[in-house]
Amino acid sequence: MSIWNSRGISHPLSAEGFSAEDLFFFDTETTGLGTGAGNTIFLLGYASISDGEIIVRQHILPHPGAEVPLYDSFLRYVNYNTLITYNGKAFDWPQVKTRHTLVREHVPKLPEFGHFDLFHAARRLWKHKLGSLKLSVVEAEVLGIKRKDDIPGYLAPMIYFDFIETKQPDGMLGILKHNEIDVLSLITLYIHITFQLHGIDHNQTRIESYEVGRWFAAIGEQEQAEKVLTKLMDGGDLTSFQAKRELAFQYKKAKEWDKAKNMFQEVADSGDLKMMLEACVELAKIFEHRIKDITQALAYCDKAIRLLAQSDKQDEWQKPLQFRKERLMQKYRKSLDNHGSIIVTKI
Amino acid sequence: MKRKKNLQEILAEFQLNEEFNKNIVSWHTIPGRKAQTVPFPEDLHSKLIEALQQKGINTLYTHQKTAYEKIKAGESVVAVTPTASGKTLCYNLPVLQTILTHENARALYMFPTKALAQDQKSEINEIIQAAGVEINSYTFDGDTPANVRQRVRKAGHVVMTNPDMLHSAILPHHTKWVSFFENLKFVVIDELHIYRGVFGSHVANVIRRLKRICRYYGSKPVFICTSATIANPLELAEMLTEELMQLIDYNGAPSGTKHFVFYNPPIVNKPLNIRKSATLEVRKLAGELLKNKIQTIVFARSRVRVEIILTYLQELVKNELGPKSIMGYRGGYLPTERRKIEKGLRSGEIYGVVSTNALELGVDIGSLQVSIMTGYPGSIASAWQQAGRAGRRHGEALVIMVASSSPLDQYIIQNPDYFFNKCPETARINPDNLIILIDHLKCAAYELPFKAGETFGTIGEALEELLEYLTEERVLYRNGDKWYWMNDSFPAHNISLRSASQENVVIIDQTDVADVKVIGEMDRFSAMTLLHEEAIYLHQGSQFQVEKLDWEEKKAFVREVFVDYFTDANLAVQLKVLEIDRLKRLDAAEIGFGDVSVGAMATIFKKIKFETHENIGSGPIHLPEEELHTSAAWVSLGESLELGRERTEQGLIGAAHALQSIAPLFVMSDPQDLHVIPQVKADHNEKPTIFFYDRYPGGIGLSEKIYSGMAEVITETRNMIVRCECQSGCPSCIGTEAAGKTAKQDAVQMLEAFMGKEGHQCH
Repeated sequence: MSIWNSRGISHPLSAEGFSAEDLFFFDTETTGLGTGAGNTIFLLGYASISDGEIIVRQHILPHPGAEVPLYDSFLRYVNYNTLITYNGKAFDWPQVKTRHTLVREHVPKLPEFGHFDLFHAARRLWKHKLGSLKLSVVEAEVLGIKRKDDIPGYLAPMIYFDFIETKQPDGMLGILKHNEIDVLSLITLYIHITFQLHGIDHNQTRIESYEVGRWFAAIGEQEQAEKVLTKLMDGGDLTSFQAKRELAFQYKKAKEWDKAKNMFQEVADSGDLKMMLEACVELAKIFEHRIKDITQALAYCDKAIRLLAQSDKQDEWQKPLQFRKERLMQKYRKSLDNHGSIIVTKI
Repeated sequence: MKRKKNLQEILAEFQLNEEFNKNIVSWHTIPGRKAQTVPFPEDLHSKLIEALQQKGINTLYTHQKTAYEKIKAGESVVAVTPTASGKTLCYNLPVLQTILTHENARALYMFPTKALAQDQKSEINEIIQAAGVEINSYTFDGDTPANVRQRVRKAGHVVMTNPDMLHSAILPHHTKWVSFFENLKFVVIDELHIYRGVFGSHVANVIRRLKRICRYYGSKPVFICTSATIANPLELAEMLTEELMQLIDYNGAPSGTKHFVFYNPPIVNKPLNIRKSATLEVRKLAGELLKNKIQTIVFARSRVRVEIILTYLQELVKNELGPKSIMGYRGGYLPTERRKIEKGLRSGEIYGVVSTNALELGVDIGSLQVSIMTGYPGSIASAWQQAGRAGRRHGEALVIMVASSSPLDQYIIQNPDYFFNKCPETARINPDNLIILIDHLKCAAYELPFKAGETFGTIGEALEELLEYLTEERVLYRNGDKWYWMNDSFPAHNISLRSASQENVVIIDQTDVADVKVIGEMDRFSAMTLLHEEAIYLHQGSQFQVEKLDWEEKKAFVREVFVDYFTDANLAVQLKVLEIDRLKRLDAAEIGFGDVSVGAMATIFKKIKFETHENIGSGPIHLPEEELHTSAAWVSLGESLELGRERTEQGLIGAAHALQSIAPLFVMSDPQDLHVIPQVKADHNEKPTIFFYDRYPGGIGLSEKIYSGMAEVITETRNMIVRCECQSGCPSCIGTEAAGKTAKQDAVQMLEAFMGKEGHQCH
């Protein structure tokens, strides 16, 4: 919390102005997928911080039909500011709303929350290396947490159905444990992401830094983005060129044409076909429209066409590039003519 | 240059010209009718009156006013409205009036297709704009983007959707529609007559669920239905909605004089009683009309037929009119393409359209002068709908029905009285079909838990038993006096309202490698015979050959070709009896009813040359078998007829062909819903047998009705064959598959044997 509060970086996940007590790490277990009316939440679990201790609370639906007391007790304990979930924006919270609607006359209203969904953060930071972005995978691969004897989430519905039928709590204890680790992991994950965003994780990889830079760029935090990306420019690896590419687009957006040109020129020699092609096209545009150097524009356009021959993007680029070239050729000839006519008048 | 003739001149020519005249079996003229109008209701909002006047409407037709008054009085109504009788005002006026006076009021409009909903949205928006009022009407269908959906749910006064969306997207998510359901005042069901058979039985259950949700949120909407002419609109509306309904069946809209011509193509082969192909005759008739720039719609029964006729007509008039002035229209074309055709028809840029029954529905295509049916469309109601496409309000119109050689067509064309005097078909639904009902009970339980003592439509005491069954199946969980959904699935996703397979095969055109595009889609079952590899698939008159059919991925890759043939595939059907529920022994036969399993497999295809229709080649089809579990009735011969295997087989084939035409008429179903197949030696009893099965999993009661009326069906069929003028069988009685000089006689003998002694007395 103190990191957010002291460094003042503007970001959607920023806890600036909050205290740790304001956060509410939340996860549910349900009887199915999707957000239809019939998908029942049977476990509402959350972790919060109080007097330096983490408190985990779990509310269970002992049998269908007991939803009024379930939501009543849940809502009485809830007095927090911001929800932190994993995919809760698309799933958990809409589902809470759905089920709450069905008992809305008998229980308190749902409060308005701020909401940090760490799933989106995880997707931005680790999509490049993880096949699946399930919380358990992120835990194992990013946080290095190994769960022992964990019950996979997809078995939860079956275990719950068995529980209400037999009233034997054994299976449910496993689910409770699973949910507990989920909400605790959310705390760890939030801290880890906070460190990532501030660049204070010593083990942060260059790719992770690059993704952080990109994220700042995407949300319009140009200064932060430049700061993070500039650090990656040396090294000559793919990431360095990706960072340069990102910077180039940042400069382009800011209409700093000269800086953008320099960056694109470096990317144009990166050796990565796709990036080179794109950079050449961008350079052709900048030289044609901004710097007004038709010869250079033509040169980059030609280079792009040569690169295109080796690429699989012909369908997409062939026509526009040919079109651009013809237009440049016309401009080129016109400039020659004008030039010629000037000479004539001189004589 | 030759002068163009108008419709009157062409009518005169048809009557005088021997070439046409000799084929005309009956010429029936239906006189025009004047409009019956009344002033606007006194309480009608001034802005609505202004809007109507801007559209040139200064009075209402009598039926519109009656509907308005009844609906305003809180009664549910069903209005029988032929094409172009101003049916939309029947519901739009009371709905808009109510919203203008009660801003919170909401209305749900249900149309059988997305296209109709789009159409109606433009229509209601015209009034809303002309009135200059703040009323939101939206369509809500599969194409509605997620961000728009939220606005529809919150702010839509009028939401236009289809039953499938109601079933799988609105009802299971009712908690997102709370204020909509709390304030729902009207449910409009347009094209009521479409909701029959399996589809209707499903939709009746969707409406049960809708009403259950409304009860939960404390609303009780008025139901407004509109229907084409069927025998029992009131009964159908009441069965579908389970509400008391008021019938409005008179019509104040004007209509022009209509000539209804029955046209039987000439016999080209006397001994075989083979007539000239209806398709070729239609080409001649439609060609004559189109050359004179008379706007004409041609209906054909299958997609292939549509494309063949389209090809012919485009070729025929290419010098007089551009090829784009005649278009095809059928399921499988993409929505944008359809919208373009509809617009072209309204504006008059398109002179001719060839369509399947897709244009029977109320899609607005303006008024055409002539409607030609290639063959009897299968039901009286359908025929009137198709006829209604010609001559909407004023002026003369011509309807021509060209008969094919099928027994049903020949029966209809030779008995015009049957057509003009018999009441149109009764639309039947069976909402309590156990399979359908159970499916929707699951959906309903997903939506809200069931309470003891609750009813579901007409299901009262039996409900508890069904819920207990679902509890045993571990789909529901009982706690106290309530049953809760206790399963991890989303039940509506596994239940399709429209027959067996909803999964469509996408048709991909790869003619232009740089521009590979999807040009259409087709249901699995049709794809087996129309999109197999090497099939010629026709689309907008262009020919495409199927190069690859990826059955797993449901994709057919096609390339444009120019060939002089089309393809026709055979479907082999296997049938096994799983369980015998009922069995009745007659003198020489036994009839049974029970569960069967039907396997259908496409086997070979033939290439058939245009014009001559000769067979110029064939090839195998390699596709897996599709299986269907359903109910069937059957009749088996008790003792052998001593005809020998060959003649028994031919007799059975012939009898089955004739039964296939008569049986659907008897149970008033679509011919596609009830199938007839013969077996020389049935698997379960080793006797010569003819089966009648429902083409829907679990059956919808058609074959059951055949079981109880077997004697009548067989007697009628036998009489039809005997009356036929041919010598030894023809397409108009026992079909062409049964071969041999004795086939006709053997088929009759077979049917008589089935009839037993009782039957013989009927001679």
